[in-house]
Amino acid sequence: MKLALQNILHDRGRFSVTVFGVCFAVFLMVFQGSLLAGFLQAASKLIDASDSDIWITARGVQAFEFGTTLESHVREMAAGVPGVTETGRVCMAFAVYRTPIGKQQVVALVGADPTVGNRFPVPDRHESADQLSPDAVLYDVSDRKQMEVDTLPAEVEINRHRANIEREIQGYGAFLGVPFLFTSYRNAIRYMGFGSDQAMYILLRVDKAYPVSQVQQSLKQRLPEVDVLTRDEFAHKARMYWTIKTGAGGAILTAAVLGFLIGLVVVSQTIYANTMENLEEYATLKALGAPQAFVARIVLTQALICGVIGSVLGLLAVVPSITYAKSLIPWISAPWWLPGAMVAPSLAMCSLASIVSVRSALTVEPGRVFRA
Amino acid sequence: MPNLFLGVEGATVSFGQEDARVYALRDVSLSFEPGTLSLVMGPSGSGKTTLLSMLGCLLSPDEGSVFVDGVAVNGLSEAERTVVRQKKISFVFQVFRLFHSLSALDNVALGFEIRDPAASRRTEKARDLLLQFGLGDKLHQEPNELSAGEKQRVAIARALAGNPPILLADEPTASLDAEAGRNICQILRSQVDEHGRTVVVVSHDPRWEKFADRIVTLCDGCVEEEVGVL
Repeated sequence: MKLALQNILHDRGRFSVTVFGVCFAVFLMVFQGSLLAGFLQAASKLIDASDSDIWITARGVQAFEFGTTLESHVREMAAGVPGVTETGRVCMAFAVYRTPIGKQQVVALVGADPTVGNRFPVPDRHESADQLSPDAVLYDVSDRKQMEVDTLPAEVEINRHRANIEREIQGYGAFLGVPFLFTSYRNAIRYMGFGSDQAMYILLRVDKAYPVSQVQQSLKQRLPEVDVLTRDEFAHKARMYWTIKTGAGGAILTAAVLGFLIGLVVVSQTIYANTMENLEEYATLKALGAPQAFVARIVLTQALICGVIGSVLGLLAVVPSITYAKSLIPWISAPWWLPGAMVAPSLAMCSLASIVSVRSALTVEPGRVFRA
Repeated sequence: MPNLFLGVEGATVSFGQEDARVYALRDVSLSFEPGTLSLVMGPSGSGKTTLLSMLGCLLSPDEGSVFVDGVAVNGLSEAERTVVRQKKISFVFQVFRLFHSLSALDNVALGFEIRDPAASRRTEKARDLLLQFGLGDKLHQEPNELSAGEKQRVAIARALAGNPPILLADEPTASLDAEAGRNICQILRSQVDEHGRTVVVVSHDPRWEKFADRIVTLCDGCVEEEVGVL
């Protein structure tokens, strides 16, 4: 294996180019993958944040951001279905926000009952010693600049109603291009001008003794005019809507798929070219009586050394890049499994490309070694 | 069928198909006796390298047989022919074919690694061989730091790793000056005289004539002349 290592160390220029190729490919794959993963996560973030088992929406609602109001009797009828233990309400509407210095802008206002889940950003919860007022309004730290709030609490206006912004939260940054504001359900419908019995989404908890699917079926029979979805179904529906049916989502999906494929092609091409550069040496080994496994081992070792070093450098470059990108694109996210999921196929492609190229070495025309 | 130590019997080799077919060798029969140095001469395109490729188990004839150490090898599988090369045959090339990233010592040690993977003290054995060829002060130099003559001596040392009985040399002095060329001729001759190896040299170089036991001249893929010299 000394030959494999020495070949790499000897021609540092070629080695650098090979490693850079793999590094670029891994960077591209992980970065594009993070954009897609973050986009998918953001598309269903508020749905996933609820603890509820079932979401009831108006018929045909594709995503959380595009809900319409439900008839007032839906909540009462749902509450009466066997197995339903608790109901909660969520609403979302675009509203006009007036900053403390009088500037106006559109925001996405979300209101929810405290029962919808511990992770759902609702202000009137027993969170800490410094209890928030039930009518407090929260915003994500990444939207601070747009909110134009210097100190908290701050008095602002939402749809011409006085409102108190009391706290910054994290992880619920702008996804629609306008900031999210979170408040209690009661407060939100006041700002939105809804009636007290109106809701956009009814969220239900199901008794553990009842299968969720059975309760869902009963609800569908009792409420045929609405959509009854499990939380995961609604989250999936929202992700598919944003990814497949919107231009932005389609572009991100396409970019991620292309990034993945281009990454694999770059890795393969780079390793293939590197192996072919040494073809005469492999032919010589073969002429000297080296078994095929011996030659293959050298080629694979070289490819994997380049692949591993390139992948590590790619990951080292992409982590700070994603951290920086978060300041510009708050929803970008690299799940823990993403680097592994991108590096594994890269190394597989390194091996595959080297195996494909080593076939040329192993089937090399014998006369080649005699040519000057 | 004759049982030759090293040679070809009725060997025909062609390249291309139908109208474009070119014959490199036509019905050639040659035998190389053990412990001799044979010189194969002839103009370009006469089939010298094709003959060497067959003797080295790198090429099978369309027709006829190839014998190495008394065994007909053209019926063997690729893997079996690799083993024959590993155990019996070694090559010396015109352009040396040294591994550019390895030192002289590592090049020769690699020869041992390929031919005798189980052997211990490969580096020491490689050092001994290089010392024999007067390269004791060049052990750790890479090929691009060596003169052409030194490169060829390293290549011969690598070829001798594992003690193969047959040495096939393709124009081994073509890239060398007069003195270095003479030195290589002497080294290969000594492999015959002192170690009993069988050496086949393909060359245009007339200097080889006085070192060869036999001269075979090929022309247009056929044996034109065979002359015993020594």
